[in-house]
Amino acid sequence: MTTPQRGSAGSLAASSGGPAQLADVLERVLDKGIVIAGDIQINLLDIELLTIRLRLLVASADKAREMGIDWWQDDPFLSRGGNGERKGALEQRLRRLEQAAGLEEDKE
Amino acid sequence: MTAVATDLAWYVFGVVPAADAERLEARIVEARGLAALVAAVPLSEFGADVLPERLNDREWLERQAREHVEVLQAACAAATVVPFRFGTIYRELDDVRAMLDARRAELAASLERVRGKVEVGVKAWAAPLEERAAAAASGGDYLRRQLAARRAAESASASLADAAAAAHERLLRHAVEGVANRPQPPELTGRREPMILNGAYLVTSAEAVRAEVESLSADYAGAGITFEATGPWPPYNFVDERREQ
Repeated sequence: MTTPQRGSAGSLAASSGGPAQLADVLERVLDKGIVIAGDIQINLLDIELLTIRLRLLVASADKAREMGIDWWQDDPFLSRGGNGERKGALEQRLRRLEQAAGLEEDKE
Repeated sequence: MTAVATDLAWYVFGVVPAADAERLEARIVEARGLAALVAAVPLSEFGADVLPERLNDREWLERQAREHVEVLQAACAAATVVPFRFGTIYRELDDVRAMLDARRAELAASLERVRGKVEVGVKAWAAPLEERAAAAASGGDYLRRQLAARRAAESASASLADAAAAAHERLLRHAVEGVANRPQPPELTGRREPMILNGAYLVTSAEAVRAEVESLSADYAGAGITFEATGPWPPYNFVDERREQ
């Protein structure tokens, strides 16, 4: 029997004797490495409530900057830039998602 | 939309076979043989209007991301788990059930793929680049030095790439599957040494990989390359997800 409690994941630190590197954690839990590529992907499956604005975070670093989400910019921890080439496609995708989300929005 | 008493939503950490769920003390939601590990989260913290801001708060993000992994890591010790990414939130438990139902085939396939296995990470680091700040005696001297330094760097980088590829191959021999992810940049690692390998391996025994890491460390010590194993992790690199809606 193992109880999944917060803070009980001791073996994550087994190799180094310290807590897992934040980079390794974020790389895994934040889809496709927001921190590496400057992309933020929050894998929200619920399209009813929380998707809309979070989908706005599914953007390149450039797009996020436009939206004022720029916390990594002056943080050496996360200062790799985004990828301009993908911006157009992402913007299109965002537009589609926003439209789709608008249809879903008043379900409740 | 009404903002009445419903100020909670359901955060999903991952999915386990329903048969494994009884071994977990996490709150679970079942549908069709699958069980989602869930926790109620306040919309005041995870709601659409505040989450973007929260995600910009590094301390908050770090705390939440670590918690997310730790819950899954603990679950992995007792069950086969398909980990979900951070920030998978449903309004109602029925929505979670609907997700389990809709993604049943894909989730079951992922569970089968990772059953009895764990993910181990292995990173390799090259020696720090030497400072080449020698003062140039003349313009020609400077250019010659620059050229020589560039050639040396290119050749070093090629042999590092070879070493990384060879190490990855050796690690794959102990793994069911493996992937070499993009090395993390120094800004992220906070180390002067460049990362040359950022591998993830799906293994039945983490010990075999750890032993190989020791052996790689010994073999490449002369080349100044160091290796580091991390994990076990929830098998993030080995579950398929449909991200496109």
